[in-house]
Amino acid sequence: MSAGASCPRLFEAEAMRDGRLGHAERASFEKHVRSCAACAREVRALDTLGERLRTTAGESADELCTRRERTRLLAAFDRALVAPEGRPGSSNVQRWWIRATGVAAVAAAVITLLPLRGRETPAARRPEIHADAEAAWSEHVEADGERVVLERGTLSIHVDHASAPGRFAVVLPDGELEDIGTTFAVRVEAGHTTRVAVVEGRVVLRMRGQAPVAVDQGETWVPPTIAAPVASAPALLAVPEASAPALLGDPAFSSPSPTSAAPAITTSSGTQTLSPASPMRSAIAVPAPEFRAAMSAFDAGDWHDAAALFAAFGAKHPTDPRAEDAAYLRVIALQRCSDDRARQAAREYLTRFPAGFRRAEVETLAQ
Amino acid sequence: MSPRHANARPSHHDAASPSDAEVLHRLAAGEIGALGVLYDRYQAPLRGFLGRATADAEDVDDLVHATFLAAAKIAARYDGRASCGPWLLGIAAQLLRRRKRAFGRLFAVLASLGGVRATSVDPRPAQQARDEVERALMRLSEAKRVAILLAEVEGLSCDEIARALRIPVGTVWTRLHAARRELRAALGDEAGS
Repeated sequence: MSAGASCPRLFEAEAMRDGRLGHAERASFEKHVRSCAACAREVRALDTLGERLRTTAGESADELCTRRERTRLLAAFDRALVAPEGRPGSSNVQRWWIRATGVAAVAAAVITLLPLRGRETPAARRPEIHADAEAAWSEHVEADGERVVLERGTLSIHVDHASAPGRFAVVLPDGELEDIGTTFAVRVEAGHTTRVAVVEGRVVLRMRGQAPVAVDQGETWVPPTIAAPVASAPALLAVPEASAPALLGDPAFSSPSPTSAAPAITTSSGTQTLSPASPMRSAIAVPAPEFRAAMSAFDAGDWHDAAALFAAFGAKHPTDPRAEDAAYLRVIALQRCSDDRARQAAREYLTRFPAGFRRAEVETLAQ
Repeated sequence: MSPRHANARPSHHDAASPSDAEVLHRLAAGEIGALGVLYDRYQAPLRGFLGRATADAEDVDDLVHATFLAAAKIAARYDGRASCGPWLLGIAAQLLRRRKRAFGRLFAVLASLGGVRATSVDPRPAQQARDEVERALMRLSEAKRVAILLAEVEGLSCDEIARALRIPVGTVWTRLHAARRELRAALGDEAGS
Protein backbone atom coordinates (compact mmCIF):
# COMPACT_ATOMS: atom_id res chain seq x y z
CA MET A 1 0.00 0.00 0.00
CA SER A 2 1.24 3.43 -0.79
CA ALA A 3 1.80 6.15 1.74
CA GLY A 4 -1.70 7.55 1.85
CA ALA A 5 -3.19 9.70 4.57
CA SER A 6 -5.02 6.73 6.02
CA CYS A 7 -5.35 3.00 5.68
CA PRO A 8 -8.23 0.65 6.49
CA ARG A 9 -5.82 -1.54 8.44
CA LEU A 10 -4.78 1.28 10.73
CA PHE A 11 -6.81 -0.14 13.61
CA GLU A 12 -4.70 -3.29 13.55
CA ALA A 13 -1.79 -1.36 15.02
CA GLU A 14 -3.66 -1.03 18.29
CA ALA A 15 -5.14 -4.50 18.01
CA MET A 16 -1.62 -5.90 17.65
CA ARG A 17 -0.37 -3.91 20.61
CA ASP A 18 -3.18 -5.24 22.78
CA GLY A 19 -2.63 -8.84 21.73
CA ARG A 20 -5.89 -9.06 19.82
CA LEU A 21 -4.28 -10.40 16.65
CA GLY A 22 -3.49 -14.05 16.20
CA HIS A 23 -0.04 -15.14 15.10
CA ALA A 24 -0.86 -15.11 11.39
CA GLU A 25 -2.73 -11.82 11.54
CA ARG A 26 0.17 -10.31 13.38
CA ALA A 27 2.64 -11.55 10.80
CA SER A 28 0.41 -10.27 8.02
CA PHE A 29 0.15 -6.85 9.62
CA GLU A 30 3.87 -6.62 10.34
CA LYS A 31 4.51 -7.33 6.66
CA HIS A 32 1.92 -4.75 5.70
CA VAL A 33 3.46 -2.10 7.95
CA ARG A 34 6.73 -2.34 6.05
CA SER A 35 5.03 -0.99 2.97
CA CYS A 36 2.36 1.28 4.47
CA ALA A 37 3.45 4.67 5.73
CA ALA A 38 0.15 5.35 7.51
CA CYS A 39 0.26 2.14 9.53
CA ALA A 40 3.96 2.54 10.25
CA ARG A 41 3.23 6.03 11.57
CA GLU A 42 0.39 4.66 13.71
CA VAL A 43 2.63 1.96 15.18
CA ARG A 44 5.29 4.57 15.97
CA ALA A 45 2.70 6.86 17.54
CA LEU A 46 1.51 4.08 19.83
CA ASP A 47 5.09 3.18 20.73
CA THR A 48 5.82 6.82 21.48
CA LEU A 49 2.73 7.17 23.64
CA GLY A 50 3.75 4.09 25.64
CA GLU A 51 7.28 5.46 26.06
CA ARG A 52 5.98 8.82 27.18
CA LEU A 53 3.71 7.20 29.73
CA ARG A 54 6.63 5.24 31.12
CA THR A 55 8.61 8.42 31.61
CA THR A 56 6.02 9.77 34.01
CA ALA A 57 7.26 9.79 37.56
CA GLY A 58 5.66 7.12 39.64
CA GLU A 59 6.14 7.53 43.34
CA SER A 60 9.52 6.35 44.47
CA ALA A 61 10.73 6.20 48.03
CA ASP A 62 14.22 6.68 49.38
CA GLU A 63 15.81 3.82 51.26
CA LEU A 64 14.98 5.25 54.66
CA CYS A 65 11.33 5.63 53.74
CA THR A 66 11.25 2.10 52.31
CA ARG A 67 12.70 0.64 55.51
CA ARG A 68 10.26 2.62 57.63
CA GLU A 69 7.28 1.49 55.58
CA ARG A 70 8.54 -2.09 55.62
CA THR A 71 8.79 -2.04 59.40
CA ARG A 72 5.33 -0.50 59.68
CA LEU A 73 3.88 -3.19 57.41
CA LEU A 74 5.51 -6.09 59.25
CA ALA A 75 4.40 -4.66 62.59
CA ALA A 76 0.81 -4.43 61.34
CA PHE A 77 0.98 -8.01 60.07
CA ASP A 78 2.52 -9.13 63.35
CA ARG A 79 -0.26 -7.45 65.33
CA ALA A 80 -2.90 -9.09 63.19
CA LEU A 81 -1.33 -12.50 63.77
CA VAL A 82 -0.35 -12.21 67.39
CA ALA A 83 -2.96 -9.98 68.96
CA PRO A 84 -5.69 -12.64 69.27
CA GLU A 85 -3.31 -14.83 71.27
CA GLY A 86 -2.12 -11.97 73.50
CA ARG A 87 0.92 -9.83 72.89
CA PRO A 88 3.95 -10.04 75.10
CA GLY A 89 3.50 -7.57 77.91
CA SER A 90 -0.26 -7.58 77.95
CA SER A 91 -1.48 -8.67 81.33
CA ASN A 92 -3.90 -11.45 82.13
CA VAL A 93 -6.31 -8.85 83.46
CA GLN A 94 -6.22 -6.99 80.14
CA ARG A 95 -6.86 -10.22 78.24
CA TRP A 96 -9.74 -11.09 80.59
CA TRP A 97 -11.36 -7.75 79.89
CA ILE A 98 -10.86 -8.16 76.16
CA ARG A 99 -12.41 -11.61 76.25
CA ALA A 100 -15.30 -10.46 78.42
CA THR A 101 -15.95 -7.53 76.10
CA GLY A 102 -15.78 -9.85 73.10
CA VAL A 103 -18.24 -12.33 74.62
CA ALA A 104 -20.60 -9.50 75.48
CA ALA A 105 -20.36 -8.10 71.95
CA VAL A 106 -21.06 -11.50 70.40
CA ALA A 107 -24.00 -12.06 72.74
CA ALA A 108 -25.42 -8.65 71.86
CA ALA A 109 -24.99 -9.37 68.17
CA VAL A 110 -26.74 -12.74 68.47
CA ILE A 111 -29.64 -11.22 70.42
CA THR A 112 -29.95 -8.43 67.87
CA LEU A 113 -29.65 -10.55 64.76
CA LEU A 114 -31.68 -13.62 65.74
CA PRO A 115 -35.07 -11.97 65.13
CA LEU A 116 -33.84 -10.87 61.71
CA ARG A 117 -33.37 -14.46 60.51
CA GLY A 118 -37.12 -14.90 60.25
CA ARG A 119 -37.32 -11.77 58.13
CA GLU A 120 -34.59 -12.79 55.74
CA THR A 121 -35.42 -11.40 52.34
CA PRO A 122 -34.96 -13.18 49.03
CA ALA A 123 -32.11 -10.72 48.32
CA ALA A 124 -30.01 -12.49 50.93
CA ARG A 125 -30.44 -15.96 49.42
CA ARG A 126 -27.23 -17.85 48.81
CA PRO A 127 -26.39 -20.08 45.87
CA GLU A 128 -27.49 -23.69 46.24
CA ILE A 129 -24.47 -25.96 46.21
CA HIS A 130 -24.63 -29.75 46.16
CA ALA A 131 -21.37 -31.67 46.51
CA ASP A 132 -20.64 -35.30 45.79
CA ALA A 133 -19.00 -37.50 48.42
CA GLU A 134 -15.44 -36.93 47.22
CA ALA A 135 -15.68 -33.17 46.79
CA ALA A 136 -13.15 -30.96 48.57
CA TRP A 137 -14.29 -27.37 48.39
CA SER A 138 -14.73 -24.16 50.33
CA GLU A 139 -16.93 -21.11 50.06
CA HIS A 140 -15.80 -17.50 50.46
CA VAL A 141 -18.13 -14.52 50.63
CA GLU A 142 -16.49 -11.28 49.57
CA ALA A 143 -17.59 -7.70 49.25
CA ASP A 144 -18.36 -7.96 45.55
CA GLY A 145 -19.64 -11.48 45.36
CA GLU A 146 -18.93 -15.04 46.27
CA ARG A 147 -16.20 -17.53 45.38
CA VAL A 148 -16.21 -21.26 45.68
CA VAL A 149 -12.84 -22.99 45.59
CA LEU A 150 -13.09 -26.53 44.23
CA GLU A 151 -10.05 -28.75 44.73
CA ARG A 152 -11.55 -32.08 43.67
CA GLY A 153 -14.86 -33.81 43.09
CA THR A 154 -18.10 -32.52 41.64
CA LEU A 155 -20.23 -29.58 42.63
CA SER A 156 -23.67 -28.90 41.30
CA ILE A 157 -24.61 -25.26 41.69
CA HIS A 158 -27.65 -23.11 41.18
CA VAL A 159 -27.30 -19.34 41.33
CA ASP A 160 -30.24 -17.02 41.09
CA HIS A 161 -28.72 -13.65 40.32
CA ALA A 162 -32.07 -11.94 40.73
CA SER A 163 -32.01 -12.75 44.43
CA ALA A 164 -28.25 -13.05 44.93
CA PRO A 165 -26.67 -10.12 43.09
CA GLY A 166 -22.91 -9.97 42.71
CA ARG A 167 -20.27 -12.03 41.05
CA PHE A 168 -20.23 -15.76 41.57
CA ALA A 169 -17.13 -17.66 40.55
CA VAL A 170 -15.76 -21.14 41.01
CA VAL A 171 -11.98 -21.17 41.42
CA LEU A 172 -10.56 -24.32 39.83
CA PRO A 173 -7.04 -25.76 40.13
CA ASP A 174 -6.39 -24.87 36.50
CA GLY A 175 -8.67 -21.91 35.91
CA GLU A 176 -11.85 -20.17 36.90
CA LEU A 177 -15.49 -20.47 36.04
CA GLU A 178 -17.78 -17.47 36.24
CA ASP A 179 -21.48 -17.95 36.46
CA ILE A 180 -23.95 -15.72 34.65
CA GLY A 181 -27.24 -16.67 36.38
CA THR A 182 -27.48 -20.36 35.90
CA THR A 183 -27.55 -23.98 37.03
CA PHE A 184 -24.45 -25.98 36.28
CA ALA A 185 -22.12 -28.73 37.47
CA VAL A 186 -18.35 -28.81 37.45
CA ARG A 187 -15.93 -31.67 38.11
CA VAL A 188 -12.24 -31.61 39.07
CA GLU A 189 -10.03 -34.69 39.00
CA ALA A 190 -6.34 -34.89 39.86
CA GLY A 191 -5.93 -31.13 39.81
CA HIS A 192 -7.64 -30.64 36.45
CA THR A 193 -11.09 -29.54 35.43
CA THR A 194 -12.57 -32.48 33.54
CA ARG A 195 -16.16 -31.46 32.91
CA VAL A 196 -18.52 -28.49 33.01
CA ALA A 197 -22.18 -29.03 32.19
CA VAL A 198 -24.71 -26.21 32.04
CA VAL A 199 -28.35 -27.00 32.61
CA GLU A 200 -29.63 -23.47 32.60
CA GLY A 201 -28.20 -20.08 31.63
CA ARG A 202 -24.53 -19.70 30.79
CA VAL A 203 -21.09 -19.83 32.36
CA VAL A 204 -17.76 -18.43 31.22
CA LEU A 205 -14.81 -20.76 31.68
CA ARG A 206 -11.33 -19.28 31.88
CA MET A 207 -8.74 -22.03 31.79
CA ARG A 208 -5.21 -20.89 32.48
CA GLY A 209 -3.33 -20.12 29.27
CA GLN A 210 -6.44 -20.42 27.11
CA ALA A 211 -8.98 -17.98 25.76
CA PRO A 212 -12.20 -17.70 27.80
CA VAL A 213 -15.04 -19.83 26.53
CA ALA A 214 -18.77 -19.63 27.13
CA VAL A 215 -20.73 -22.77 27.86
CA ASP A 216 -24.44 -22.40 27.23
CA GLN A 217 -27.52 -24.16 28.45
CA GLY A 218 -27.60 -27.83 27.44
CA GLU A 219 -23.88 -27.97 26.66
CA THR A 220 -20.99 -29.78 28.28
CA TRP A 221 -17.34 -28.73 28.14
CA VAL A 222 -14.56 -31.29 28.35
CA PRO A 223 -10.83 -30.51 28.06
CA PRO A 224 -8.86 -31.21 24.88
CA THR A 225 -7.13 -34.24 26.37
CA ILE A 226 -10.48 -35.92 26.80
CA ALA A 227 -11.86 -34.74 23.50
CA ALA A 228 -8.67 -35.73 21.64
CA PRO A 229 -10.10 -38.83 19.92
CA VAL A 230 -12.62 -36.58 18.19
CA ALA A 231 -11.17 -33.10 18.08
CA SER A 232 -8.09 -31.32 19.28
CA ALA A 233 -9.93 -28.17 20.31
CA PRO A 234 -11.96 -28.01 23.51
CA ALA A 235 -15.24 -29.67 22.69
CA LEU A 236 -18.83 -28.94 23.51
CA LEU A 237 -21.30 -31.74 23.65
CA ALA A 238 -25.06 -31.52 23.64
CA VAL A 239 -26.40 -33.03 26.83
CA PRO A 240 -29.96 -33.73 27.82
CA GLU A 241 -31.43 -31.23 30.21
CA ALA A 242 -31.46 -32.33 33.82
CA SER A 243 -31.77 -30.75 37.19
CA ALA A 244 -28.48 -29.71 38.77
CA PRO A 245 -28.46 -32.26 41.60
CA ALA A 246 -29.28 -34.95 39.06
CA LEU A 247 -26.00 -34.20 37.31
CA LEU A 248 -24.20 -35.61 40.32
CA GLY A 249 -25.62 -38.97 39.32
CA ASP A 250 -24.53 -38.52 35.72
CA PRO A 251 -22.00 -41.26 34.90
CA ALA A 252 -19.87 -38.67 33.15
CA PHE A 253 -19.55 -36.77 36.41
CA SER A 254 -18.76 -39.81 38.49
CA SER A 255 -16.31 -41.24 35.96
CA PRO A 256 -12.90 -41.54 37.59
CA SER A 257 -10.76 -41.20 34.48
CA PRO A 258 -10.78 -39.11 31.30
CA THR A 259 -10.92 -42.19 29.10
CA SER A 260 -14.33 -43.11 30.41
CA ALA A 261 -15.67 -39.85 28.98
CA ALA A 262 -14.51 -40.69 25.48
CA PRO A 263 -17.49 -42.86 24.52
CA ALA A 264 -19.80 -39.96 25.28
CA ILE A 265 -17.84 -37.86 22.83
CA THR A 266 -17.78 -40.53 20.20
CA THR A 267 -21.50 -41.08 20.34
CA SER A 268 -22.17 -37.36 20.38
CA SER A 269 -19.77 -36.41 17.65
CA GLY A 270 -22.53 -36.13 15.13
CA THR A 271 -24.52 -33.87 17.38
CA GLN A 272 -21.90 -31.24 18.17
CA THR A 273 -23.58 -27.94 17.66
CA LEU A 274 -21.51 -25.18 16.17
CA SER A 275 -24.08 -22.43 16.27
CA PRO A 276 -22.34 -19.08 16.10
CA ALA A 277 -24.05 -17.64 19.17
CA SER A 278 -21.36 -18.70 21.60
CA PRO A 279 -17.68 -17.79 21.79
CA MET A 280 -16.99 -21.37 22.79
CA ARG A 281 -18.59 -22.65 19.66
CA SER A 282 -16.64 -20.12 17.69
CA ALA A 283 -13.51 -21.65 19.14
CA ILE A 284 -14.49 -25.05 17.75
CA ALA A 285 -15.23 -23.63 14.32
CA VAL A 286 -11.73 -22.09 14.38
CA PRO A 287 -12.64 -18.63 13.09
CA ALA A 288 -9.04 -17.43 12.66
CA PRO A 289 -8.40 -19.10 9.25
CA GLU A 290 -11.70 -17.75 7.95
CA PHE A 291 -10.72 -14.25 9.01
CA ARG A 292 -7.27 -14.73 7.48
CA ALA A 293 -8.87 -15.82 4.21
CA ALA A 294 -10.95 -12.67 4.17
CA MET A 295 -7.88 -10.57 4.97
CA SER A 296 -5.91 -12.24 2.19
CA ALA A 297 -8.60 -11.39 -0.31
CA PHE A 298 -8.64 -7.85 1.04
CA ASP A 299 -4.84 -7.53 0.81
CA ALA A 300 -4.94 -8.88 -2.74
CA GLY A 301 -7.52 -6.28 -3.72
CA ASP A 302 -10.22 -8.87 -4.38
CA TRP A 303 -12.83 -6.54 -2.96
CA HIS A 304 -15.91 -8.57 -3.92
CA ASP A 305 -14.47 -11.76 -2.45
CA ALA A 306 -13.26 -9.94 0.63
CA ALA A 307 -16.67 -8.37 1.24
CA ALA A 308 -18.36 -11.74 0.87
CA LEU A 309 -15.86 -13.47 3.14
CA PHE A 310 -16.12 -10.79 5.82
CA ALA A 311 -19.93 -10.97 5.65
CA ALA A 312 -19.78 -14.75 6.05
CA PHE A 313 -17.36 -14.42 8.95
CA GLY A 314 -19.60 -11.90 10.72
CA ALA A 315 -22.67 -14.08 10.26
CA LYS A 316 -20.92 -17.22 11.44
CA HIS A 317 -18.97 -15.75 14.33
CA PRO A 318 -20.99 -12.78 15.61
CA THR A 319 -19.41 -12.89 19.06
CA ASP A 320 -15.83 -13.30 17.90
CA PRO A 321 -13.63 -10.32 18.90
CA ARG A 322 -12.88 -9.79 15.20
CA ALA A 323 -16.55 -9.50 14.23
CA GLU A 324 -16.39 -5.72 14.42
CA ASP A 325 -13.23 -5.65 12.31
CA ALA A 326 -14.95 -7.87 9.77
CA ALA A 327 -17.99 -5.61 9.61
CA TYR A 328 -15.80 -2.56 9.14
CA LEU A 329 -13.57 -4.14 6.51
CA ARG A 330 -16.64 -5.31 4.62
CA VAL A 331 -17.75 -1.69 4.37
CA ILE A 332 -14.33 -0.70 3.06
CA ALA A 333 -14.18 -3.59 0.60
CA LEU A 334 -17.62 -2.73 -0.80
CA GLN A 335 -16.66 0.91 -1.06
CA ARG A 336 -13.44 0.04 -2.89
CA CYS A 337 -15.34 -1.85 -5.57
CA SER A 338 -17.98 0.89 -5.76
CA ASP A 339 -20.65 -1.54 -4.66
CA ASP A 340 -23.98 0.10 -3.86
CA ARG A 341 -24.23 -2.04 -0.75
CA ALA A 342 -21.41 -0.13 0.96
CA ARG A 343 -23.74 2.43 2.49
CA GLN A 344 -26.12 -0.26 3.74
CA ALA A 345 -23.15 -2.21 5.18
CA ALA A 346 -22.01 0.96 6.96
CA ARG A 347 -25.45 1.40 8.48
CA GLU A 348 -25.42 -2.23 9.59
CA TYR A 349 -22.05 -1.66 11.27
CA LEU A 350 -23.39 1.38 13.13
CA THR A 351 -26.48 -0.52 14.24
CA ARG A 352 -24.54 -3.53 15.41
CA PHE A 353 -21.63 -1.69 17.00
CA PRO A 354 -23.07 1.62 18.23
CA ALA A 355 -19.92 2.24 20.29
CA GLY A 356 -17.60 0.68 17.73
CA PHE A 357 -13.97 1.67 17.40
CA ARG A 358 -14.47 2.83 13.78
CA ARG A 359 -17.77 4.62 14.31
CA ALA A 360 -16.42 8.00 13.24
CA GLU A 361 -15.07 6.69 9.91
CA VAL A 362 -18.13 4.57 9.19
CA GLU A 363 -20.57 7.39 9.91
CA THR A 364 -19.20 9.34 6.97
CA LEU A 365 -19.60 6.30 4.73
CA ALA A 366 -23.18 5.69 5.87
CA GLN A 367 -24.39 9.07 4.61
CA MET B 1 6.99 -2.42 17.03
CA SER B 2 8.44 -2.67 20.45
CA PRO B 3 6.89 -5.07 22.91
CA ARG B 4 5.20 -3.64 25.93
CA HIS B 5 7.38 -2.84 28.87
CA ALA B 6 6.96 -5.20 31.86
CA ASN B 7 7.31 -3.40 35.18
CA ALA B 8 5.12 -5.84 37.06
CA ARG B 9 7.53 -8.74 36.75
CA PRO B 10 10.67 -7.79 38.63
CA SER B 11 13.57 -10.07 37.83
CA HIS B 12 15.71 -9.25 40.82
CA HIS B 13 15.07 -12.54 42.59
CA ASP B 14 17.35 -15.23 41.23
CA ALA B 15 16.69 -18.92 40.75
CA ALA B 16 18.02 -19.73 44.21
CA SER B 17 15.48 -17.52 45.97
CA PRO B 18 11.96 -18.83 46.58
CA SER B 19 9.38 -18.35 43.86
CA ASP B 20 6.45 -16.01 44.39
CA ALA B 21 4.15 -19.00 44.80
CA GLU B 22 6.40 -20.40 47.54
CA VAL B 23 6.56 -17.03 49.27
CA LEU B 24 2.79 -16.71 49.22
CA HIS B 25 2.39 -20.25 50.50
CA ARG B 26 4.62 -19.38 53.45
CA LEU B 27 2.75 -16.13 53.93
CA ALA B 28 -0.57 -17.99 54.01
CA ALA B 29 0.90 -20.08 56.82
CA GLY B 30 1.53 -16.88 58.77
CA GLU B 31 5.27 -16.54 58.20
CA ILE B 32 6.12 -12.88 58.68
CA GLY B 33 9.45 -13.14 56.85
CA ALA B 34 7.57 -14.05 53.68
CA LEU B 35 5.77 -10.71 53.78
CA GLY B 36 9.15 -8.98 53.99
CA VAL B 37 10.37 -10.88 50.93
CA LEU B 38 7.22 -9.99 49.03
CA TYR B 39 7.54 -6.34 50.04
CA ASP B 40 11.17 -6.17 48.93
CA ARG B 41 10.25 -7.62 45.54
CA TYR B 42 7.16 -5.61 44.75
CA GLN B 43 6.99 -2.40 46.77
CA ALA B 44 8.76 -0.39 44.07
CA PRO B 45 6.51 -1.36 41.12
CA LEU B 46 3.42 -1.08 43.32
CA ARG B 47 4.46 2.34 44.55
CA GLY B 48 5.14 3.42 40.98
CA PHE B 49 1.77 2.23 39.75
CA LEU B 50 -0.19 3.77 42.61
CA GLY B 51 1.77 7.01 42.34
CA ARG B 52 0.85 7.36 38.69
CA ALA B 53 -2.74 6.30 39.30
CA THR B 54 -3.49 8.63 42.21
CA ALA B 55 -0.95 11.47 42.08
CA ASP B 56 -1.40 11.78 45.80
CA ALA B 57 1.77 10.89 47.66
CA GLU B 58 0.10 10.50 51.03
CA ASP B 59 -2.38 8.01 49.64
CA VAL B 60 0.35 5.95 48.03
CA ASP B 61 1.98 4.87 51.30
CA ASP B 62 -1.33 3.78 52.75
CA LEU B 63 -2.40 2.00 49.58
CA VAL B 64 0.90 0.11 49.29
CA HIS B 65 0.56 -0.88 52.92
CA ALA B 66 -3.07 -1.96 52.47
CA THR B 67 -2.23 -3.91 49.31
CA PHE B 68 0.35 -6.07 51.07
CA LEU B 69 -1.89 -6.64 54.08
CA ALA B 70 -4.76 -7.64 51.78
CA ALA B 71 -2.40 -9.95 49.88
CA ALA B 72 -1.35 -11.56 53.17
CA LYS B 73 -4.98 -12.10 54.07
CA ILE B 74 -5.82 -13.90 50.82
CA ALA B 75 -2.41 -15.48 50.14
CA ALA B 76 -3.90 -18.96 50.38
CA ARG B 77 -5.99 -18.24 47.30
CA TYR B 78 -3.00 -17.35 45.09
CA ASP B 79 -3.21 -19.39 41.90
CA GLY B 80 0.48 -20.27 41.68
CA ARG B 81 1.49 -18.16 38.69
CA ALA B 82 5.22 -17.52 38.37
CA SER B 83 4.94 -13.81 39.06
CA CYS B 84 2.45 -12.38 41.51
CA GLY B 85 3.04 -8.84 40.19
CA PRO B 86 -0.19 -8.71 38.17
CA TRP B 87 -2.10 -10.20 41.12
CA LEU B 88 -0.76 -7.52 43.49
CA LEU B 89 -1.53 -4.78 40.97
CA GLY B 90 -5.07 -6.13 40.76
CA ILE B 91 -5.44 -5.89 44.53
CA ALA B 92 -4.03 -2.35 44.46
CA ALA B 93 -6.44 -1.34 41.70
CA GLN B 94 -9.39 -2.73 43.65
CA LEU B 95 -8.32 -0.84 46.77
CA LEU B 96 -7.91 2.30 44.71
CA ARG B 97 -11.45 1.96 43.43
CA ARG B 98 -12.88 1.32 46.90
CA ARG B 99 -10.97 4.24 48.38
CA LYS B 100 -12.36 6.51 45.69
CA ARG B 101 -15.89 5.33 46.46
CA ALA B 102 -15.34 5.77 50.19
CA PHE B 103 -14.05 9.32 49.69
CA GLY B 104 -16.94 10.03 47.38
CA ARG B 105 -19.43 8.95 50.01
CA LEU B 106 -17.60 10.88 52.74
CA PHE B 107 -17.55 14.10 50.74
CA ALA B 108 -21.19 13.65 49.78
CA VAL B 109 -22.15 13.32 53.45
CA LEU B 110 -20.05 16.31 54.47
CA ALA B 111 -21.41 18.36 51.60
CA SER B 112 -24.96 17.50 52.61
CA LEU B 113 -24.19 18.77 56.10
CA GLY B 114 -22.93 22.02 54.65
CA GLY B 115 -19.57 21.63 56.32
CA VAL B 116 -17.47 21.35 53.19
CA ARG B 117 -17.78 21.90 49.48
CA ALA B 118 -16.97 18.65 47.79
CA THR B 119 -15.87 20.44 44.65
CA SER B 120 -13.28 22.42 46.52
CA VAL B 121 -11.14 19.37 47.24
CA ASP B 122 -8.18 18.89 44.97
CA PRO B 123 -6.36 15.69 45.91
CA ARG B 124 -3.27 16.76 43.97
CA PRO B 125 -0.68 18.55 46.06
CA ALA B 126 0.29 21.78 44.37
CA GLN B 127 4.00 21.05 44.61
CA GLN B 128 3.59 17.92 42.49
CA ALA B 129 3.31 19.87 39.31
CA ARG B 130 3.36 17.32 36.58
CA ASP B 131 4.50 17.62 33.03
CA GLU B 132 2.20 17.49 30.04
CA VAL B 133 1.85 13.71 29.93
CA GLU B 134 1.09 13.45 33.61
CA ARG B 135 -1.55 16.16 33.37
CA ALA B 136 -3.14 14.40 30.40
CA LEU B 137 -3.05 11.15 32.34
CA MET B 138 -4.76 12.71 35.31
CA ARG B 139 -7.54 14.05 33.09
CA LEU B 140 -8.54 10.50 32.21
CA SER B 141 -11.20 8.77 34.27
CA GLU B 142 -9.66 6.54 36.90
CA ALA B 143 -10.91 3.41 35.12
CA LYS B 144 -9.17 4.39 31.87
CA ARG B 145 -6.05 5.59 33.67
CA VAL B 146 -5.67 2.34 35.59
CA ALA B 147 -6.17 0.29 32.42
CA ILE B 148 -3.62 2.24 30.35
CA LEU B 149 -1.06 2.21 33.17
CA LEU B 150 -1.42 -1.52 33.69
CA ALA B 151 -1.00 -2.08 29.96
CA GLU B 152 1.64 0.41 28.91
CA VAL B 153 3.66 0.93 32.06
CA GLU B 154 3.28 -2.34 33.95
CA GLY B 155 3.23 -4.48 30.83
CA LEU B 156 0.19 -6.58 31.69
CA SER B 157 -1.65 -8.33 28.89
CA CYS B 158 -5.32 -7.50 28.33
CA ASP B 159 -6.31 -10.87 29.81
CA GLU B 160 -4.25 -10.15 32.91
CA ILE B 161 -5.83 -6.72 33.26
CA ALA B 162 -9.30 -8.22 32.89
CA ARG B 163 -8.56 -10.74 35.62
CA ALA B 164 -6.98 -8.13 37.87
CA LEU B 165 -9.88 -5.70 37.55
CA ARG B 166 -12.55 -8.41 37.31
CA ILE B 167 -13.98 -6.99 34.11
CA PRO B 168 -14.50 -8.56 30.65
CA VAL B 169 -11.51 -8.38 28.33
CA GLY B 170 -13.65 -6.46 25.83
CA THR B 171 -14.07 -3.72 28.42
CA VAL B 172 -10.29 -3.57 28.78
CA TRP B 173 -9.89 -3.10 25.01
CA THR B 174 -12.52 -0.37 25.02
CA ARG B 175 -10.91 1.45 27.95
CA LEU B 176 -7.45 1.23 26.39
CA HIS B 177 -8.71 2.53 23.07
CA ALA B 178 -10.54 5.42 24.70
CA ALA B 179 -7.58 6.24 26.96
CA ARG B 180 -5.16 6.33 24.01
CA ARG B 181 -7.53 8.45 21.97
CA GLU B 182 -7.91 10.99 24.79
CA LEU B 183 -4.21 11.04 25.59
CA ARG B 184 -3.23 11.51 21.97
CA ALA B 185 -5.77 14.27 21.54
CA ALA B 186 -4.53 15.98 24.70
CA LEU B 187 -0.90 15.65 23.68
CA GLY B 188 -1.55 16.95 20.18
CA ASP B 189 -0.49 13.71 18.53
CA GLU B 190 -1.12 14.09 14.82
CA ALA B 191 -1.80 10.36 14.46
CA GLY B 192 -4.25 10.40 17.28
CA SER B 193 -6.95 12.36 15.61
